[in-house]
Amino acid sequence: MAEEQKEAKPKKRMTATKAAASIGPMVKEFITGTLQARAEGKQKLAYTFIVCHHEEIFRAMDVVPIWTENFAGICGAKRDAERFLQRAESLGLSRSLCTYALCGIGFDQWREELGQMPPDAPWGGMVKPDFMISSGQILCDPRSKWYQASQQFMPDVPIYNIDLPYPLFQRDQDHREVLGYYHRYIVKQLRGLVAFLEEQTKKKMDYDRLRELVDLSDRTWNLIEETYDLRKAIPCPMGTGDAMNTMVPINFMMATQKAYDFFVELKKELEEKIARGEGEVENEKYRLMWGGGLPSWFALTDFNYFNSKGASFPVETTYRMVAPLKEMDLPETKDPIEHLAWRWLGYWTFWYDKARKRPGSEPDVERLINRIEEYKIDGVVMHEAFSCRTWHVGLIWQLHQLAKIYKPIPVYVVGKDGKKEKVYRELPSLILESDIIDITSYSEVDTRNKIDAFIETLESIRMNRAA
Amino acid sequence: MTKVVILKEEIIASVVGPTGPEQRRLANKVMEETLRKASLSFPQITYIVSTGYGRINVPFSDRQVTEVTCHARGIVHLFSGARTIIDIGGQDSKGIKIDASGKVVDFVMNDKCAAGSGRFIEVIADTLGIPLDQVGALSLQSSHPVKISNICTIWAQQEVVSSLAEGVPVADLLAGIHYSLADRIVRMVSRLRVEDLVILTGGGAKNKGLIKALSEQLNRSVLVPPNPLITGALGAALIGKEMVEKARKNKTPIETRERVFKEVEIL
Repeated sequence: MAEEQKEAKPKKRMTATKAAASIGPMVKEFITGTLQARAEGKQKLAYTFIVCHHEEIFRAMDVVPIWTENFAGICGAKRDAERFLQRAESLGLSRSLCTYALCGIGFDQWREELGQMPPDAPWGGMVKPDFMISSGQILCDPRSKWYQASQQFMPDVPIYNIDLPYPLFQRDQDHREVLGYYHRYIVKQLRGLVAFLEEQTKKKMDYDRLRELVDLSDRTWNLIEETYDLRKAIPCPMGTGDAMNTMVPINFMMATQKAYDFFVELKKELEEKIARGEGEVENEKYRLMWGGGLPSWFALTDFNYFNSKGASFPVETTYRMVAPLKEMDLPETKDPIEHLAWRWLGYWTFWYDKARKRPGSEPDVERLINRIEEYKIDGVVMHEAFSCRTWHVGLIWQLHQLAKIYKPIPVYVVGKDGKKEKVYRELPSLILESDIIDITSYSEVDTRNKIDAFIETLESIRMNRAA
Repeated sequence: MTKVVILKEEIIASVVGPTGPEQRRLANKVMEETLRKASLSFPQITYIVSTGYGRINVPFSDRQVTEVTCHARGIVHLFSGARTIIDIGGQDSKGIKIDASGKVVDFVMNDKCAAGSGRFIEVIADTLGIPLDQVGALSLQSSHPVKISNICTIWAQQEVVSSLAEGVPVADLLAGIHYSLADRIVRMVSRLRVEDLVILTGGGAKNKGLIKALSEQLNRSVLVPPNPLITGALGAALIGKEMVEKARKNKTPIETRERVFKEVEIL
């Protein structure tokens, strides 16, 4: 069968930091940890999604999360997603749906049909959960539909959906006016989750433990901010390629001491690299921002290709799913559930006030502008993954807005007729087109041709500035 | 197509030849032909810059530069006021934004879909049995361009065949095809904030129907170089010339490859 054919093993991406290099075994460890937990039968296991601010609740209840998006990403990175995508397609699901979801659904169907893991399942495979926690949040619509589709093959596995909305940005309305309503609703949703988990695990929530874990997460959030801020250094000690590894503790290990310790080590490593003047690339010529879009997990070596041209990525918006808590002005509360809800709202509305102050800006664009200024960025790279609408649909619009708003000091250049001409410094952008895990959408030759042309554009701008 | 331009102060010779799977061998052939035309021997060529998708497959190239930079350089040489370049080739299409000094400041490329490249018109011309060099002029005879609803080349081909069977005039079909391609390209280049002068280059620039469709949809005049097929090669030659002049001025050595044609078999 075609679906049993595996693709060629991908080349390994070179990392700039030891911390990023340590991530692979860490991910493998928590995948094998889920297999072990299933075998031992002492803990309940739950399918769930990242960026739901519910990890603390899971861990306080000793529920083991199975990050289904992460498993699909692993299949993609190992270039072993195609057989699961094909299986989902043969079930009648379109390839243009979220390929994370397709990969997961294809895997679930195969595992349930066999009554065991599909042959050579990446890192031992994704275990059958005891229950599934979906999320009807604004971020992504497959998050509420994916598990419903998987439930066809696991009718005995219940789904609990948490709804996590936040007020959308409105220039003429202060979001604080409605924040209280949203907060009450989210608190109710999270308490509903606690009740569901109590029922499933037959245990009561230990609120002291939950409070400790929330405090640990908060400290980790601030530590991540401090660590990533170090990447402002010139040369930049760690790029986005590495950040696509270090996103693992941020998104899959929050509320664990291991995640906190990881960033302690990474911060130390970056400080040492800065002290030695050591950059991600030996001779840093261009500083780029990964301005949006999930990466092609099967083509992370493209970051090395950028690096080989002297381009470093000091900052990215993707997977930096934390914001400085000290700048959020969150209401004081002793109730950890209430705090989680405030933190959720604080994160999603973090750029609202700044965006409101700049005419024509929007929160996503404001974040780009701030990063460009803080990290001294020369160009923006985005990735349009065809199968991910929610994250990718607004990228070109963001670039348009950025071009309208971001007008730094004018530059005078000598035109062909010898006269001086006033121009505004352009911030060149590159949009890569492919997918998160569907390798059939990717061409290394075309991608690298675009990267070459982009590097030449950056070089010509650099020479213009020098002139 | 494989193109060669030999440049001194002005173009000495240029040749456009087909590109086949054996790019390395073909590069030799087209180069030999151009040298013959210019009455030059190979060692008399000071510096060689290759460009395009096959740039790494030119065994005697001293430097490789992407087609974005080369098109920009070639066009600015021909139109000093150029700000936006649209290149429509058989393999892809591009939009390039350049500033007053002629430097590239941004670009967009479509290399994913044949329906956004000159290949779209090639396929339809083939389906209709009309020589490619006649489709543009024929499309201008249309009084009621049809709307082509399929955005996939293969399905558009089917749509054209069905419409033809229904008696839709060929000129209206061709006009529809040109508007359809122009529409996709205009949407792509709009990201660059199109500014005058707009220059159309590549094989698409030899098609009058496409020039008209683009001009109408951009709501601007679209200028075309005298020989749009060679602007990339011209740019490569100009870049090579500048590099040599700069090296001579700075008294730095110029590294070049041996000027011999090696027989290369890659298939």
